[in-house]
Amino acid sequence: MKFFMFHLMPYRDLPDDFEEHHDSAWVWVPNELYDPETGAGYYREYLDQLAYAEELGFDGVCVNEHHQNAYGLMPSPNLIAAALTQRTSRVRIAIVGNALPLYDPPTRVAEEIAMLDLMSGGRIIAGQVIGGGPEYYSFSINPAEARTRFAEAHEIIMRAWTQPGPFEFYGEHYKLRYVNTWPRPLQKPHPPIWIPGVGSLETMEFVARHRYAYMGIPYFHIDFFKKTYRLFKRACEKEGYQAHPEQMGLLMPIYVGETDEEARREFEEHFWYFQRKLIPGILLSPPGYTSVQSALRIFKGVESSFISGVKTWDDVEAGSFATVGSPETVFEKLAGHLTDLGAGNLLTLMQLGNMPSDKARANMTRFAEQVMPRLAEAFPDAAEPVPQQVAFPDEQFAVA
Amino acid sequence: MELQPTEVRGHTIQVAVGGDGPPLLYLHSAAGESYVWLDVLNGLAAHHAVHAPLHPGFFGSEGVEDIHDIEDLVYHYLAFLDGRDWERVDVMGCSLGGWIALEIAARYPERVGRLVLAASAGIRLPDVPMQDMFRLQLGQEDQARALLFHDPSHPMARLVVPTFEGIDDETLAAFVSAMAATARVAWNPYLHDPRLEGLLGRVTAETLVVWGQDDRLIPPAYGERLAELIPNARLELVPECGHLIWFERPAQLLEAALAHLGAAAPA
Repeated sequence: MKFFMFHLMPYRDLPDDFEEHHDSAWVWVPNELYDPETGAGYYREYLDQLAYAEELGFDGVCVNEHHQNAYGLMPSPNLIAAALTQRTSRVRIAIVGNALPLYDPPTRVAEEIAMLDLMSGGRIIAGQVIGGGPEYYSFSINPAEARTRFAEAHEIIMRAWTQPGPFEFYGEHYKLRYVNTWPRPLQKPHPPIWIPGVGSLETMEFVARHRYAYMGIPYFHIDFFKKTYRLFKRACEKEGYQAHPEQMGLLMPIYVGETDEEARREFEEHFWYFQRKLIPGILLSPPGYTSVQSALRIFKGVESSFISGVKTWDDVEAGSFATVGSPETVFEKLAGHLTDLGAGNLLTLMQLGNMPSDKARANMTRFAEQVMPRLAEAFPDAAEPVPQQVAFPDEQFAVA
Repeated sequence: MELQPTEVRGHTIQVAVGGDGPPLLYLHSAAGESYVWLDVLNGLAAHHAVHAPLHPGFFGSEGVEDIHDIEDLVYHYLAFLDGRDWERVDVMGCSLGGWIALEIAARYPERVGRLVLAASAGIRLPDVPMQDMFRLQLGQEDQARALLFHDPSHPMARLVVPTFEGIDDETLAAFVSAMAATARVAWNPYLHDPRLEGLLGRVTAETLVVWGQDDRLIPPAYGERLAELIPNARLELVPECGHLIWFERPAQLLEAALAHLGAAAPA
């Protein structure tokens, strides 16, 4: 099992009556609500927490990308990753961002990730994401082009890292006369690729074909993930191999207290801050962003199984929207989920909503000392995964 | 009215056809109203052979993957006109359809006879913001009806913006697909083509511009500006009416359109 500390870097000071006046913490949430003095302190605290994860023995840290929102204040995950290359020396730095369709030309992403890989001594995991619906409002990029832009940008970046340049790339969206990325990444053949998905078969098949890692988008009922990972494993089988545990990750809010009662008492208010103030708007779905079939499926799935529908603490427990309790309880629950899912990466959200730093650090400490070793023992690392496949189908190369 | 599958540039589209008389091309709005053959279409069909093609992506019209911007729709409809052997035809367009009609009339003025525009998209007035139709999500039907109608309790408001909870898959899929097809051409620049304003002086068609006085999506100032920019145009405002004139005040729109198209009973 690989343990990652995932951070969202949320804004913790939204007014108490925020949700009475705003239906979303995304895109249109007035930035007058952001206080720079407070925000400067947050970056210090959050970077300290991620550096502390290395001290505690986590295998990696995860940063991510969102724009124009209060939910996650890393519009540039690469900047935070750059800081972390200098604050840490051992942990993997997983950048679960770089929403490829937002960057034109996408060679910029190839350049920055390569720089980070070199600056970190080869510790970067390169997420490649389509970007959530809200980002298409925030960047005014046409959502109808999300999938085709992603596919082209992905090809450009992977070729920039692995094929001799300069070469020419002429696609529908990007027309690049000279692709010749300097520097090239340290890891060979390229930094590992993680791709998040909300359960569409197309994405799973793409990930399975390249032997990349698949990360289920969080905040759904645990049963939703069980189904998603069953489908992903089947997609890998169709490619002729068994999914490796490290091709799958579970992202989960976790809180470890001394006892179950104390854990809930200390944690619950932060969950509701997160769920009532920060989550609304996260699923904004611009027209054309998904296929009609996916739109129908998501519309229905959201009704019944997304965190936004949670009303009571019992709902939280029943769907495992957060794993909360004594060290024993948290171990038992996580062990159950990880067994069910077959996932080999546990992405822990240890700071949630308006949780202050001292509480987040105490949570991290208890998790690292009393839960992580037991999970590590129960889920020993499997053999090294088969390398990710850089090669594209030949017909894709024929165009260039 | 009958739906006629028609081949355009290698794709099959659906065309609602009805009535007798000189041909009239009706270009529908993002609501896809041609499919339900509204009162307005019925009234027009009493004097015209109305041909109301569904845009690609709407109700079974194929080929949306070849539509990337408004210009692609211009060439789509030029091919449609060629297929019908229409050198020149009267055109009525509503909102999105009005925008397409304007692009054709400005670029290929010889192809358009008389022109009726109802609450047409296509230009942008920096000082008069349009509302964002793409901001509303499934579940915000009340806000959508309030955006599009003067009176959100108008019986047609529930037809145009159905309640999505418990809706059947087919209706929901048609709605999602229509909005996606609209966003392909109208997401950004939002509901307009920055080049169009400068081309409007080329329009030769006698043009009637009809606008709802309470249009909140595209305010009436847009109608006034279009009537100024199009050389031979006249504006008619419909009181107590929102954006969707063809749903909210069909009788007034029909009367004005028929009078302009010259199909009204001889005076």
